[in-house]
Amino acid sequence: MAKDIDIFDQELHRAPTSERPFDFGVSPEHLKTITVTIDDREITVPFGTTILAAARQLGIQIPTLCYHDDLCIAGVCRICVVEVDKHRNLHASCAYPITEPIVIRTHSPAIREARRHVLDLMLSNHVGECYTCVRNGNCELQKLAHEYGVNFYRFGKAEGPKFPIDASSPALVRDMDKCILCRRCVRTCVDLQEVGVYHTMNRGEQTAIKTFLDQPMSDVVCINCGQCVNRCPTGALHGNDPSDELWGMIDDPTKHVVIQTAPAPRAAIGECFGLPPGTAVTRELNSALRHCGFDKVFDTNFAADLTIMEEGTELLLRLHKALVTKEPVFLPQFTSCSPGWVKYLEHFYPDKLDHLSSAKSPQQMFGAVIKTYYADLHGIDPADIVTVALMPCTAKKFERIRPEFYSSGYQDIDYVVTTREMAQMIKEVGVELPRMPKSGFDDPFGPATGSGVIFGATGGVMESAIRTVYELVTGTSVDRLFEQLRIMPVRGFEGIRYAELVIEKVGEVPPILRSLFDDWKWLEGVTLKTAIAHGTANAKRVMENIIAGGKLSECHFIEFMACPGGCLGGGGQPIPTNREIRAKRAEAIYAEDEGSEVRKSFENPAVQTLYKEFLTDGPCGHRSHSLLHTTYTQRSKKMI
Amino acid sequence: MRIIARQQINDELTELMRQYGEERSALLPILHAMQDKYGFLSGLILQETAHALGIHPAEVEGVASFYSFFETDKRLGKYVIRLCQTISCNLAGKAQVARQLENELGIRFGETTNDGMFTLKYTNCLGMCDQGPALLINDRLFAKVTPNLVHQILRDCRRDFVKSVFPQVVPSDVRQSGPLLEHGIKDGAALEAALKNTPGQIIELIENAKLKGRGGAGFPTALKWKLAMDKVSDTKYVVCNADEGEPGTFKDRYLLYNHVGIIFDGMTIAGYTIGARKAYIYLRAEYRYMLRYLESEIKARRERGLLGEDILGKKGFDFDIEIRLGAGSYVCGEETALIESLEGQRGESRNRPPFPVDTGFFGNPTIVNNVETFAAAAMICARGDVWFRKHGTEISTGTKLFSISGNCERPGIYELPFGISVNEMLRTVGGEDAKAVQIGGAAGQCLARHEFDQAIAYEGVPSGGSIIVFGPDTDMLNVARNFSEFFVEECCGQCTPCRVGNVKILEGIRLLEEGRCSILYLDELVKLSRTLRNISKCGAGQSSGNAFTTIMEHFKDEILGRVHTVAGEN
Repeated sequence: MAKDIDIFDQELHRAPTSERPFDFGVSPEHLKTITVTIDDREITVPFGTTILAAARQLGIQIPTLCYHDDLCIAGVCRICVVEVDKHRNLHASCAYPITEPIVIRTHSPAIREARRHVLDLMLSNHVGECYTCVRNGNCELQKLAHEYGVNFYRFGKAEGPKFPIDASSPALVRDMDKCILCRRCVRTCVDLQEVGVYHTMNRGEQTAIKTFLDQPMSDVVCINCGQCVNRCPTGALHGNDPSDELWGMIDDPTKHVVIQTAPAPRAAIGECFGLPPGTAVTRELNSALRHCGFDKVFDTNFAADLTIMEEGTELLLRLHKALVTKEPVFLPQFTSCSPGWVKYLEHFYPDKLDHLSSAKSPQQMFGAVIKTYYADLHGIDPADIVTVALMPCTAKKFERIRPEFYSSGYQDIDYVVTTREMAQMIKEVGVELPRMPKSGFDDPFGPATGSGVIFGATGGVMESAIRTVYELVTGTSVDRLFEQLRIMPVRGFEGIRYAELVIEKVGEVPPILRSLFDDWKWLEGVTLKTAIAHGTANAKRVMENIIAGGKLSECHFIEFMACPGGCLGGGGQPIPTNREIRAKRAEAIYAEDEGSEVRKSFENPAVQTLYKEFLTDGPCGHRSHSLLHTTYTQRSKKMI
Repeated sequence: MRIIARQQINDELTELMRQYGEERSALLPILHAMQDKYGFLSGLILQETAHALGIHPAEVEGVASFYSFFETDKRLGKYVIRLCQTISCNLAGKAQVARQLENELGIRFGETTNDGMFTLKYTNCLGMCDQGPALLINDRLFAKVTPNLVHQILRDCRRDFVKSVFPQVVPSDVRQSGPLLEHGIKDGAALEAALKNTPGQIIELIENAKLKGRGGAGFPTALKWKLAMDKVSDTKYVVCNADEGEPGTFKDRYLLYNHVGIIFDGMTIAGYTIGARKAYIYLRAEYRYMLRYLESEIKARRERGLLGEDILGKKGFDFDIEIRLGAGSYVCGEETALIESLEGQRGESRNRPPFPVDTGFFGNPTIVNNVETFAAAAMICARGDVWFRKHGTEISTGTKLFSISGNCERPGIYELPFGISVNEMLRTVGGEDAKAVQIGGAAGQCLARHEFDQAIAYEGVPSGGSIIVFGPDTDMLNVARNFSEFFVEECCGQCTPCRVGNVKILEGIRLLEEGRCSILYLDELVKLSRTLRNISKCGAGQSSGNAFTTIMEHFKDEILGRVHTVAGEN
């Protein structure tokens, strides 16, 4: 199995040339280091390092607003200005590359006055009270106003709202009166995600961030990934929070409210309670949720394992058609568990929907199982069951309401709560999460499995699929090839990863699949080709490569995640999220995997029981087809 | 209906992309063509254009809504009347013309007549400041418009200008010419002389002549060219900045229309020097009436072997010039914003460094020079550095074209040596009784009488050529308001200080007009203009507070404590 990422070196930036990372061409200077002086301290940095980055290395905090670690450089808010040598003007430190030895000052009377002015100007246009703002306590503008001692509105205060609030989207809300025009959302949507919902419109005083033709968010090509929400420095963009309604359900004694928790929130929610990134609080969270009043707490991992069984079987069926019966079949098969990705494909490549696995996402599968199998088991009327999902994801809020998800006769999932919203709910009941006692998940869906946990990181679905499919086909464990089941070629944060796995010899068809396959001989010697992409800009590169008949068109299975880093970098995750924090969350996820007893989906006892007792015709059988599989909707990138 | 419209638009897009390429840089030309054809840029046009170019519809709308010559809301009239609202035309009686236009058409500014014939719009400087009030009707320019003439102009429109009494081309008033305007050099002669030298020698020549950029910032031309020359790259560009948007300047318009040969020579010499094969002239949309003429001149040069391959027999020296139209944005006169605009983006300035000589047009080394700079460079190649240095001062060598307007007896174009004092200049133009002079346009500074002994030069009061004279009766607060409105409207909107700061300054001016501004708050606004200068992203933003600061400094007694509201002009 080889890891090959070099083939996609080329950058695909939509950003204006000015916002792209600095490129000084290939020259000997490239390798140089430069020594600069910042506030009388010297530091040696590589050629082209920004002043901001250099200052941070020295522990000097320069305030920023439009700058974000994940995004290209805008240099528009002008709060990060510093003095360079004796230049007449101050320079934006986020945008100034160090190419020669310079002397920098990060504070002076002129700098302080300028920063105060920038804040005063922003506040003069910023409508809304901090008390009623969802970002109260975690707002970058509020924090700077505090740090710079803003104690009055120097240039007046805007009166009344100028823009209507757009809450048309099930996933997110836009309150443009709080917008400071830092353009992070534009850069996120256009450059990082390649979706292009927003752009800066008009100029001068009229400048505003708008959608195409100012259409409501529900009517544009938005994939609901929420990456813009996660990067907004203020409360201008926030999730569509269902918690008030949800409290109503919890307080209603006739309702049986069950919650499933996805792995990514568990690795991140601690951040909302002051824990360092990468602290998993899975078992403390279980107790906190029960304290909130949820009747049962389930682990989404169960459904993740179920997804692997269904999706893996579907892949084997497609391969069988392609290799044995030579029927027309759509390969590569795409994963379908990221609803942002699914909607992206529906909008931008509607003719490629047949490549999507028909398996529902774990969230939706779980909902369907709860309202059928679980309801039967406990003799509860499904109409009285309220299914809640704790997700790292804003797109799940949209997925929940899709008309396709009523296969049991009831809506699979009734509420989706993001990590941030759940943290808020837990705070509301006065629980200090890190100090909660630990407790497990409720039966009958069993304890967490490692194969489900890793769904939270990019490459995780692929890793789980390989662990299961390889063993089902060869009869031997994949740890023969990869120590401790760490399938390293699919891990990491490179935008696109490609990996091959040769099936050298095959084993017996396991009982669970015997109704579908007689033997595996046809897979002997086959090289399974896989790829992984995260962030829809990378997904676009993969799609273009497939359409052009490139290397990726030969893949059998491709994992796509809409969000950079996968679910752990989801739009509903705690703010801030950046490269470092995503890496920490991934560490927590892989640690939880290694601490689990069961690390392969087909070994999950609850899944085995489900197939034995309920889905008796096996994976991709008749019943699973009606409950656990779905169809997709052709959309278009043309809005008119 | 929509399917047919979509098909038609897509057919046209295919044709336009054949002409302008499939790159993003084709966006502005495509939008121009579409607007000409459909009267405005509908959502469908924006969307189809985006998909044809492989970009997002929101991006295209972002671009279209940025430029004042593009209309995305509603169909414009057959004749779009754009009345200049900048200070010189204001002083010349724009308000009366505006009112009469409204009276004749029965609509307000910003509206279109019911019959779809006329749209009334204000625009910023048309470059006719010495012959104001000026207005532009589609691609036709009208100068010295009086309220009485309005009716006749509209009547001519209705007749599609058949047998119009108005001239097709408005002549310019050249009041004083000098060595540059009297060059007497044939097309291509300067180029021929230059090609006898190596690129290194040309740079040395220009360096010895101490030529500085004529746009106003005064960057040494030789240094800019040398930086680009030393850059190792297969693709380099020369860009001529013909986006003469600074209120009060009109000398580039004159040069382009009357001396374009020497400008082309200068551009070609620049291409030879830095190793570029391609040049663009970024022509402001307000000067679009020159487009056909300039294109025919380029064609003629190609035929004469002055453009194209192996120019003047020089093996391997290939060079060509293409004209790209702006679309109504002052900020695009700033070189990095201009490059963004050429690339098909919103005309927003870039972070500097890196500079265009490193990463310019599509990331390639690019030099951007003013029209007059290219002309001067060509002249230096033809006549030598010693000849050039004969005029001007030790630091500011050569002569400079000045566009002089406002309250003076002889407004027009003057070629004067650098170092001339404001007093001398006022004597020359017949404006001795001026109470103030605005040097360098809206971005420049306002000098009061006691400063008139200062010299106009890079080491003194710098100017890109705009001189506006304010007579003794001028209300200086009105002047400040005009400049402030200009910046509020023309600000590109990306950086906080310029976008919000200029609005606060304008609000402050309104308080002053109402006599409700304390000295304390006025001081705060002056401090704010200092911040604008210190931290705005581009030169335009940095200079946007200059006029306000200098007017407030000199005319506090005239401005503070006004008893009654002074009626605005607009």
